[in-house]
Amino acid sequence: MRVVVADDAVLLREGLARLLAEAGFEIAGLASDADELLVLVEQTRPAVAIVDIRMPPTHTDEGLQAARVIRARWPEVGILVLSQHVRASYALELLAGGSAGIGYLLKERVSDLRELAASVERVAQGDSVLDPLVVEQLVGRPRHGHDPLEHLTDREREVLALMAEGRSNRAIAERLFVTEHTVEKHVKHIFATLRLPLSPDDHRRVLAVVSYLNAQ
Amino acid sequence: MAALAAGVGAAWLAVRRDFEPYQTADWPLALLVGWSFVGSGLVAWRQQPRNRLGPAMVFTGFAWFATFLTDAHVRWLFTVGTALESVYLVGFVFIVLSFPTGRLRGRLDRALIWAAIGLVSVVEIVSLVFTDSRAVLCSGCPSNVFQVSRNDGLANGILEGQRVTGALLALFAVGLLVRRWRAASELQRRSVAPVLWAGSATIAVLAVSIANDAAGDPLGQGAKWVGYCVFASVPIAVLVVLLQRRLARGAIAGLVVELGDRSRGSDLRDALARALGDPALDLAYWFAAADRYVDADGGPVELPVPDGTRVVTVVERDGQPVAALIHDPALAENLELVESVCAAAALTLENERLQAELRARLVELRASRARLVEAGATERRRIERDLHDGAQQRLISIAMSLGLVEARLPEDPLSAAPIVREAREALGLALAELRELSQGIYPSMLSERGLAAALDELARSAALPVALDARLPGRLPPPVEAAAYFVVSEALANAAKHSHATDARVTAAVVDGVFAMEITDDGIGGAGGGAGTGLRGLADRVEALGGRFTITSPPGRGTTIRAEIPCA
Repeated sequence: MRVVVADDAVLLREGLARLLAEAGFEIAGLASDADELLVLVEQTRPAVAIVDIRMPPTHTDEGLQAARVIRARWPEVGILVLSQHVRASYALELLAGGSAGIGYLLKERVSDLRELAASVERVAQGDSVLDPLVVEQLVGRPRHGHDPLEHLTDREREVLALMAEGRSNRAIAERLFVTEHTVEKHVKHIFATLRLPLSPDDHRRVLAVVSYLNAQ
Repeated sequence: MAALAAGVGAAWLAVRRDFEPYQTADWPLALLVGWSFVGSGLVAWRQQPRNRLGPAMVFTGFAWFATFLTDAHVRWLFTVGTALESVYLVGFVFIVLSFPTGRLRGRLDRALIWAAIGLVSVVEIVSLVFTDSRAVLCSGCPSNVFQVSRNDGLANGILEGQRVTGALLALFAVGLLVRRWRAASELQRRSVAPVLWAGSATIAVLAVSIANDAAGDPLGQGAKWVGYCVFASVPIAVLVVLLQRRLARGAIAGLVVELGDRSRGSDLRDALARALGDPALDLAYWFAAADRYVDADGGPVELPVPDGTRVVTVVERDGQPVAALIHDPALAENLELVESVCAAAALTLENERLQAELRARLVELRASRARLVEAGATERRRIERDLHDGAQQRLISIAMSLGLVEARLPEDPLSAAPIVREAREALGLALAELRELSQGIYPSMLSERGLAAALDELARSAALPVALDARLPGRLPPPVEAAAYFVVSEALANAAKHSHATDARVTAAVVDGVFAMEITDDGIGGAGGGAGTGLRGLADRVEALGGRFTITSPPGRGTTIRAEIPCA
C-alpha cells in the first residue's frame, strides 16, 4: 500500500517513514510542507497521505488546509492527520468535508506501530478514525441541564465511544468480547435514546455521533 | 445707648449713695468693667452673629450694672439690685467655660451653670424673704421689699452658705478649665490662652479679695481696683481672640497671592498650614479610581479615626471629594476660616489632586509591572520544575530501559519485550505531560485559529458546563487575545475549583473598538482580587493593556468577572 508522509520535522518524518516501511507500507514520498505535499499527492496518488497539522510557513493549521485541498481534488486519497493536541473541533472539520477515508490521531500514537498501521489501513479502506482521547473529551464533557447520555448504560457508553472512534460493529464486538448481534442491539438502543437516525455506513455513523456529541 | 444710659444711671446712683459699706469712690473703674463687657460683646455679636459669646458678654455687662441698683434710695430698686447682685458672675463663668464657640461642652459644664443660676436666683430670693436689709446687709440702706419675716440668723446663714457654695462652684469651674487645658492641643491652647489667663487672674483676684475681706481689709481699696481692672480685661481678651480670627482670615488674601505665583515645588500643604495656623496640617487627595485617599506623592493615606487629637475635613467639589484636610481640632471651632481657605485654594487643590492621582497611578503601575515580572519569573520556575519532575525524569527512565534492552538483546531477546513496553508507556506519559505543559505556556489554538475558537475549545474542556457567546469580528491583537484567553481560563478554573459552581456563562464581543468580556458563574461567590491570587495577576495583565478588570462576587450569589480592553 502506497503512502506519503508530510511533516516539517525531519526526525519525525524519517522515523515515521521507517516505521511504516517496517509495517509493510510502501513510502511513495516525503514532504516537509503543504505545497510539497500537494505536488507529491498529485504525482504519486497514494492510498493514504499522513499529514502533520502544523507546518511552515505559519505553523498553525497548514495540514488541515492541505487536507481540504486533497479531499476536493483527489477524493480517493485517504487522509490521516496527526496533531499535537486533542482538538475535537479540528476533527469535526475534517469529517464534515466528507468522512470517508479520514483520520485524526494524536501524534504520540506513532509509538504503537500496530495501532498506527491498523489506522492507516482503515483510512485506506474508506473508514473514519478518531483518536480515543478526542472521543473521550467529547463524551465526557459537562453538559448544560439535562444530559441524554445519562440514560445510557456504561456498556452503551463504551459502544458509543468506540463508534465515535470510527470502529465497525465487528471491531467493537471484538473489543468488548461480545457478539456482533449484541453490538447491533446496543447501537439501536443508543440511536433511539439519542433520537438519531440510523446511518447505513460506518463513517457516516461516526459523523452523526460526533456531531451529536459536539452539539450538546 | 442703653448701656451708656445704664452706666450713667449707675454712676449717678454711686455718687449719690450715702450709706455704708458699698461701692464708693471706685465707681469710675466699676463703670469701666460694665462698658468693657457691653462694648466688647456688641462688637463680637456683630462680627459673629451666630456665636453666643457676644450676647453673653452684653448680658454680663448689664447684669454688672444691675449691681449698682443696690446704691439706690428707692426701696424696690434697691431690692432688685440686691436680688440681681451676683447674676453677672454666672455670665462670667459662662463666657470662660464656653469660649471660644459660645457653646457649653459636656454635662458637667451645664450642671455647673445651672447650679450657679439657682444659687444667684432662687437661693437669693429665698434669703431675701427673711432678710432685714439694715440689720444684715448695710446700715442706712432702704428696706427690702421682699421681706416677709425677720430672721437675722437664718438670713446670715443663707448668705454664708451662698458664699461657700459660690466659692466651691468657682473651684469646680477652675478644675474643669484645668482639665480642658491639659487635654487641649497646642493650637487650641493658643487660641483660648488670653481668655483663660484673664479669667484665671479674675478668679485669683477674687480669692484674694475674699481673703482680704476676711482678714479685715489690710490691703484696702487697692485690691478692689486691681480686681476691677482684671475683670474688665476678660471681655477685652475675648474680643482680641475673636478679632485675631478675623485677622487669620486676612491670611487668605496672603494664601491667594502665594498660590498665584507658586512655582511647582512650593508646597500647597505648607501654604495651607500657614493660612490656617496649624503647622501639623496634613493633606490627602481623593483617588477616585481606587476609592481611597493618597498623599501628594501618590502613596496611600489612611484617614485618622476622629479621636479628638486630629480632625478630618473633606473638601468637595460638585459633590465629589477633592481632598481631605487632617487638622487640629481647634480649627473645627473655626469652620468659617477652614471653609474660606478651602474655597480660596479650591482650584489649586483640584490641580494638586489630579497630579496626586497621576502619581498614584504611576505607583500602581510600578507595582503591577513588578508583579507581572514576578509572575513571569514564578511561571518560569513552575515550568522548569514541571519539566524536571515530569518529562525529564520519565525520559531518563526510558533511557535506562533502552540501555537494559540493549544489554539483553544479544543473549535473551524475549526478556526485553516487557521492558520495551514499560518504556513506551513512560514515553506516552511524558508526551501527555509535555502537551499539557506547552498548552499552559501558550495555547496553540490562539495562534492557529484566534480567540473565538480558543474560547470554544476552553469551554468544551472546562470542568463545568459553559455557555459561550462569542461575537468576535475576525482576529484581535495577539496580546488582547492572550489576555482574554487567560482570564477565561483562570475564571473557569476558579469557578469549578473554588466557587463550586455548576454552571458558567461566557460572553465576549467587540463594541466600539473595545473588547468586552464577562464570565459569570453560579458558585458561592466571595472571590477577591487580593495580592497573590490568580485574579490579581489577570487584573494586572488586563490593565497593562490599558483595560479595566472588575470582580463582582457577593457571598452566596456567584461571581462575575468583567474585562474590557481597547483594541481599536
